[in-house]
Amino acid sequence: MSSEKKSGYRKNFPLILTFIILMLVLFMLSLLLAYRFSTKYIENQFVSEKVNVLEQSIRPYNDFFQKKLPEVSYYNGYLDSATASNFVDTVLLEYPFVSKVIFYDSEVKNTPVTDGLNIGKFSFGPKSIYQFGSLVPMDSVKLFSSDNTRNFIAGDDFNALALKLVSYIESLDTTRLPSQDELFSNFSNVRSNKITYLNIPRIEDLKMYKTMMRKSLNPQPIYQQDMLSFQLDPYKIKIINSRPLLYQYIKIEPLTYDPLETSSLYVTTEITLPGPFSDFKLYFISSKSFIDKEILSYFLPIALGVLLFYSILVLVAFLIYRNLNINQKMFKLQYDFMNNLTHEFKTPVSVIKIAGNNIKSASSLTERELKLYGKILDEEADKLNGLMNKLLAFTQIENKAIQLNSEKININDFIESTVESHRLKHPDFDFTFDVNGFKTFVTDPVLLGSLFDNLAENAYKYSPQERKRLHISARLIKGRVVFRFADQGIGIPSSEINNIFKKFFRIQNQYNQNGSVGLGLAFCKELVNFMSGEITVKSKVDKGTEFKIVLPYND
Amino acid sequence: MVVFKKYFFLFLSLFALACTQKGGVRVMPIDDFFKSQNRIGYRVSPDARNLSYLKLEGKNQNLYVEDIETGKGKKITQLKEKSIIFYFWVSKDELIYYKETDPALRLSDIFIINKDGKNERQLTNNEKSRIKVLDDQLMDDKYLLVSSNKRDSTVFDVYRLNVRNGEMQMAAKNPGNITDWTTDSEGKLRLATSSDGVNETLLYRESENDAFKPIVTNNFKNTLRPIAFAKNKLNVIYAISNVNRDKGALVELDCKTGKEIKVLFGDETINITDAQYSRRKQKMSFVVYETWKKEKHYLDDSVKLIYNNLDKLLPKTETRIIDRDKAETVFIVRTFTDRNPGSYYLYFSETGKIRKLSDFNSAINEDEMCEMKPVSYVSRDGMKIEGYLTLPLKMKAENLPVVVLPHDGPVARDIWGYNPEVQFLANRGYAVFQVNYRGSTGYGKAFMAAGFKEWGCKIQHDINDGVKWLISKKIADPKRIGIYGTGFGGYIALNGLYSENKTYACGASNSAVINLFTYLKSIPPFLKPKLQMYYEVIGNPLTDVDKMRQSSPLFQVDRIEKPLFIAQNTKDPNINAGETIQFVKNLQKRNISVTYLENDGDPFYSKNDEGRQKLYTALESFLEVNLKKK
Repeated sequence: MSSEKKSGYRKNFPLILTFIILMLVLFMLSLLLAYRFSTKYIENQFVSEKVNVLEQSIRPYNDFFQKKLPEVSYYNGYLDSATASNFVDTVLLEYPFVSKVIFYDSEVKNTPVTDGLNIGKFSFGPKSIYQFGSLVPMDSVKLFSSDNTRNFIAGDDFNALALKLVSYIESLDTTRLPSQDELFSNFSNVRSNKITYLNIPRIEDLKMYKTMMRKSLNPQPIYQQDMLSFQLDPYKIKIINSRPLLYQYIKIEPLTYDPLETSSLYVTTEITLPGPFSDFKLYFISSKSFIDKEILSYFLPIALGVLLFYSILVLVAFLIYRNLNINQKMFKLQYDFMNNLTHEFKTPVSVIKIAGNNIKSASSLTERELKLYGKILDEEADKLNGLMNKLLAFTQIENKAIQLNSEKININDFIESTVESHRLKHPDFDFTFDVNGFKTFVTDPVLLGSLFDNLAENAYKYSPQERKRLHISARLIKGRVVFRFADQGIGIPSSEINNIFKKFFRIQNQYNQNGSVGLGLAFCKELVNFMSGEITVKSKVDKGTEFKIVLPYND
Repeated sequence: MVVFKKYFFLFLSLFALACTQKGGVRVMPIDDFFKSQNRIGYRVSPDARNLSYLKLEGKNQNLYVEDIETGKGKKITQLKEKSIIFYFWVSKDELIYYKETDPALRLSDIFIINKDGKNERQLTNNEKSRIKVLDDQLMDDKYLLVSSNKRDSTVFDVYRLNVRNGEMQMAAKNPGNITDWTTDSEGKLRLATSSDGVNETLLYRESENDAFKPIVTNNFKNTLRPIAFAKNKLNVIYAISNVNRDKGALVELDCKTGKEIKVLFGDETINITDAQYSRRKQKMSFVVYETWKKEKHYLDDSVKLIYNNLDKLLPKTETRIIDRDKAETVFIVRTFTDRNPGSYYLYFSETGKIRKLSDFNSAINEDEMCEMKPVSYVSRDGMKIEGYLTLPLKMKAENLPVVVLPHDGPVARDIWGYNPEVQFLANRGYAVFQVNYRGSTGYGKAFMAAGFKEWGCKIQHDINDGVKWLISKKIADPKRIGIYGTGFGGYIALNGLYSENKTYACGASNSAVINLFTYLKSIPPFLKPKLQMYYEVIGNPLTDVDKMRQSSPLFQVDRIEKPLFIAQNTKDPNINAGETIQFVKNLQKRNISVTYLENDGDPFYSKNDEGRQKLYTALESFLEVNLKKK
């Protein structure tokens, strides 16, 4: 433990705890802020979005004002009652807020009129007046004509706009071209719930009107002018609630509308309508709970986003922690491996050293001694060689640096020779086998031999003294060769079973105190993979282990 | 060094390639098509000693007089800009010119000047009235017969204008509806034409002491145009008449009875539109009849000789005699073809020689221009429609992009000859298609009347049928047909975008009539007698409201889907600029692609090079994007 401290080992637990607490605090804080923001945002929206509602609701009116109204001018004064009626029909149909239209079919001339306006020599008066609208009865369409002058009201829209026209002509600067806007504003009159429009004559005609104010022209000219007075009904404006989740109710109310009963349960706002509707306003009202719903629906996606963000953060932290852990284990394995490897090499080397020393220090060696030392040196050199071969082969296989040799072998003979060699080494090894379904088999004999040796060696090594048994069965099942190595050894605990094929892995127990590198099974797995086969294991602690190798069969 | 040279030549050849269109046609600068030469308006003095012309120097145009024999010229006026709209010789030493004062209202002042530039006097100084010379001969060496509306802007009276002191004496008071006056060989006012708008009446008196008596009345659809009083035949005039026949003919008319005596020339296959009378010989020289181009029939062998001689001297070109001296020995001749605006020549009939004066437009090379071919086809209701097709140079007449170019109106026609607009478009690689749709002049009474009140209807069909004919001939690429026009031509172009929607890929208009109601309103007060006629030609704004609305683009914005080019001059008195702006606005509101070009310079492009350049540059790129690159 002390050596671990010196090497820089630190305890993580308090750090992890602090991290988690901080994260939680931050998470809660962001949720809170998000909620606060949502509330503020929706409250602001409630106030600001009314402009959009107004804009969309008033669009037909703007369309009417900018597109339909100038259409009167297109007729250049040639409108008569029938054409005007047709025109008004399209207006009434398209723009429901227009309730009634009064059409003044009028004339500009030099002879004074009794109904209308006479300024200097300039006279402007209606020939006839008609009214159109869905509620106007058929018999009262015609309001005024030369033989029925009763219905002309001096103070009505006609005279108001006529006065505007006259004062404009009076001040008209004939040397320059008037702008479109200037003309439009002087030929229209926008009053509460009413728009009066007079067709805009050509500039040449306007100049003529100006002359007509001062003198009578000969022959007397008569200019046709059409005036249309549109009566508007603000309550017929179609409200377009572009935010139905924000505004529960939108109403058109007089400008003075301000109900007392709006309790704290409701939120309200208002905006004045433009132009001829300026005596009215759009009144927006929503209950608090309605607004809360909208706040929630705005807040939830944000909360989800925050949650997702933090989840990812925690996941990343966890992954980093896990990787660090694994790396640490890997480091430990390699460390162990170095230890073992050194140990493995050390034993034969020290034996060789002792034998060498003995030979050097002895004055003379007997025949028996010579043979003994020779045998020891030979055996230990073999051991070293074997160790190095194993290491080399493993790295080669792992890097796919060797070629697969295909050779036809007689499976019976092959196993027989393996069994024989092991029996020779370990006379107490009860080694049996059986072959079923095939006799020959094409494979790499060296690799297969290596595989058999490793597994047999393991079986012998991890079996108690009285149960050193191994049975190999070779079968051809569904076109594949299946080898089973069943021993009655100490078995592998199920918690470790997934690790045994890993490099440098060793189960700590009495059987591998010395002489194990932890490479054997990893090497076997690499071999089998290299031969395009599979290796699996089944084991019960203290009962035995069975390795199953499946190889492709090609005869 | 060698490598460098190689690359240099490669670069040069690439550069040369970049400058030419496919097929090797040079893209000519816009201005070159429209340039008029700096010398125009040639006239010869009555004594055949002097030649006069208007010469442009920089921005200023002035009157020059040149001695024919020595060729020495002298500037006799010192005016700014292009202000002389008309001039003529009144005697062998004096000239009269009109100086424009208000182009919009067509008002001008009249000046008289000596041929050496001395003794310049203003004859009139009446800014409110229009004045018109009825007879360019001086009477008693000092009186000029003019008509003027100074008494009443709606009617023209005849005055004797003393060119020495500018005094005006009324020669005949217009009772209110006389629109034209004719003088006899002595300059005596003996014939007048009155009009109440629909009907035209010929009035006659035997001498200036008598009162005018109406002799024959005709509807405006008929033409009865006095040409000259017949020699040695009392009370007989030559006239071009299509009364009681479809096409015009040269007739003798008895002024006592108003009856036609005989047809001098003409039958139902040709339409005579003009005639030339020689005052010196007191004889009819020739009549002009229109087929796909104007042609002459000679009634005087000596005249025929002159023209035949001219044809020999100037082969493969049309010739027109513009002016001559009193003795008819020296002539000013103008030549032209469809590919050449032509030149001016002086022709001496005694020696049979010609002298070239100047080219009309020296920037035009005949080989680079395109041929204007007369074409004809049958419309859907079986009427034969004639027109012209100009194909781009060095291109196969197959699957071409086409610009349909309907002419202005309401009563006009396209003629064969050099047309800068057509040549400009053809040079840019478009086939140009011109149609003399029904209602056009020159094809007889019935054809003209067939177009009355057919705006947006049969007139439009005629043009669309022409396009279908072009497609069936495989000349036009049905996906690349555009339509462009000016005035009523622009009206037809805009109408074309919605009448039979799929025909055109795009439409362009310049100073277009977009509202027939406004067009009727634009007829000025002094043309009031003509209002009735316009009602018949265009439509009556009270009884034909629906039809007129249907065929006025301004009302039909919702039906237009294709890209548009709209140009207008806000100073143009014939259109209502505000309405066009409203039209463009309404189109933009519907997200239709509109290229709007506003010009506020002089509405007459001949005086506004910059405006013209802008218009055609914009038009070129509009067509490029919407026709060529499709």
